[in-house]
Amino acid sequence: MDCERIRDRFSSLWEKGLTSLEEKDIRGHLSSCPECRREFEQFEKMMQWLHSVEEVEVPDGFFPELHKKIEERKTKATPGKRSAGRWLKLPISIKLPAQAVAMVAIVFIVLYLSKMMPTGIYHLKESKQTSSLPTSEQKSEQMLAHKEADEERKVLERPAETPRVKDVGQVETSAPAKERLDGSPPQMKAEAKKEEVPSPKSEIIAHRTYDLREQEEAKSLSAEPERAGKGFAAKEKSVVTLKPPQEIVLRISDREKVVSRLQELVKQFGGEVVATEGNMFVASLPTGTFSEFEKEVAELGSPPEEDKLIQERQAMGSLKAAPAAPGVRREEAPKRVVDAEGRKTVRILLIQE
Amino acid sequence: MSIGEGKNRLLMKASPKIEKEMIENCKAGDQKAFAEIVLHRQKKVFNMAYRMLGNLEEAKDLAQEVFISVFESIKDLKEEIKFDAWLTQITLNHCRNRWKYLKRRHYFNSDSLEDPIETEDGNMPRAIYDPSDNPETLYEKKMIQELIQRGLLKLKDDQRELLVLRDLQGFSYEEMGELLGLPEGTIKSKLHRARMDLKEVLERSTH
Repeated sequence: MDCERIRDRFSSLWEKGLTSLEEKDIRGHLSSCPECRREFEQFEKMMQWLHSVEEVEVPDGFFPELHKKIEERKTKATPGKRSAGRWLKLPISIKLPAQAVAMVAIVFIVLYLSKMMPTGIYHLKESKQTSSLPTSEQKSEQMLAHKEADEERKVLERPAETPRVKDVGQVETSAPAKERLDGSPPQMKAEAKKEEVPSPKSEIIAHRTYDLREQEEAKSLSAEPERAGKGFAAKEKSVVTLKPPQEIVLRISDREKVVSRLQELVKQFGGEVVATEGNMFVASLPTGTFSEFEKEVAELGSPPEEDKLIQERQAMGSLKAAPAAPGVRREEAPKRVVDAEGRKTVRILLIQE
Repeated sequence: MSIGEGKNRLLMKASPKIEKEMIENCKAGDQKAFAEIVLHRQKKVFNMAYRMLGNLEEAKDLAQEVFISVFESIKDLKEEIKFDAWLTQITLNHCRNRWKYLKRRHYFNSDSLEDPIETEDGNMPRAIYDPSDNPETLYEKKMIQELIQRGLLKLKDDQRELLVLRDLQGFSYEEMGELLGLPEGTIKSKLHRARMDLKEVLERSTH
């Protein structure tokens, strides 16, 4: 029997669990093998020590502490906690779908809230914008003003060969078209009709609507028109000059004669003379009689040469931006347009031949 | 009759028998019956816990947890006759879980056989293991117990379980087979290996 096998039987030998023959064989090997003998001696001693280990006494207060713990657990197990415990004990086949549903619900709520927030802000912004936006009436009035400005631009851009009188006529004829295009509500149109003949009050308001920027532009241009503007500024206060006045250039030989004739014509067509200064004659006429008045005026003189016409146009450009009264406010623009529809201002330049 | 079997019988005598009626009363919610069961088995459970964990405080806490489990689940015990096996099984399960828990927290890392053994008189020099010497003269009883305890903690979990159940608690191979779900032959061979390993651990720690 080899040493390894003998050592594997130590436990059985020590517990006396071997047959007498087996025990005899092992004892015989131990007596002849000092290594195995020493090993068994150490094993025997270790086993003696192991079995000499005594039981430890239970610490004092073991049971009272245990009782306290049990009571604490009983009190802690409130209905809410019990239900939570039950949830934890639930099978995963129930817990998983419930958790999935909860997660989906959370995601939807978050998405809904995140979408709601910017929309709410957008709506707020929108409402603010709509409140700041002009009313339909104001819009239509602005459209009118734009159209008028466009018409004016077209007239200015027209080739120089085209006679001025024709231009004026075109502008005149385009006025009804403007009305047709105008998408303003009937209410507004009625208002416009009412104010066809502007009251002095409305004239003052309209006058104030001259833009400050336009004033600056006028200053930057030639000095001559500026002077002309200054000349009739006092009288202009009571006259509608909001719409850029029509320009007619007349070549004349006798200034006084022409001026007196012009005054007569103005009276004849129900208008009034705004200013007469130097070679400038400004008059305000009702829209209805304006075209006839223009024809009469055209007969008084002959149209200027091309180069001069250009110069006059430049002057007209500066005059168009006549000085405005301080404290002008854009909000008053609608009245200006309405007034301008009622009356027309014509500026006649008298050029001595 | 082997030494182990004799010791096992002695322990069985020391542990008063728990009557079937006591268990039934406890099942019915009788606090007095539960208290009696605790008093009858607290030493056994506490000692098993102490030998498995090597710490008195942990052992006390664990033993209390075992009895709380008994209190909560005794109603599920179908065969009153198997109460002791059932209690031992609960104790072993608690010990295994607590051992893992403490090991994760490196509870046993500082505990080495190289460290001086702590006694009631204070720290004493390391005992030299020499089986030829008379332990009664060279070592105090308590020091031997400490040495054995530290040696047990150095072994594998299942080896420690086997040594505690057989050599310290006096369980029979049959009982151990039922508890651990292993054949007797396997238990015997595993136990022998555990004993030889403990011997080696003690030798290493003393030389």
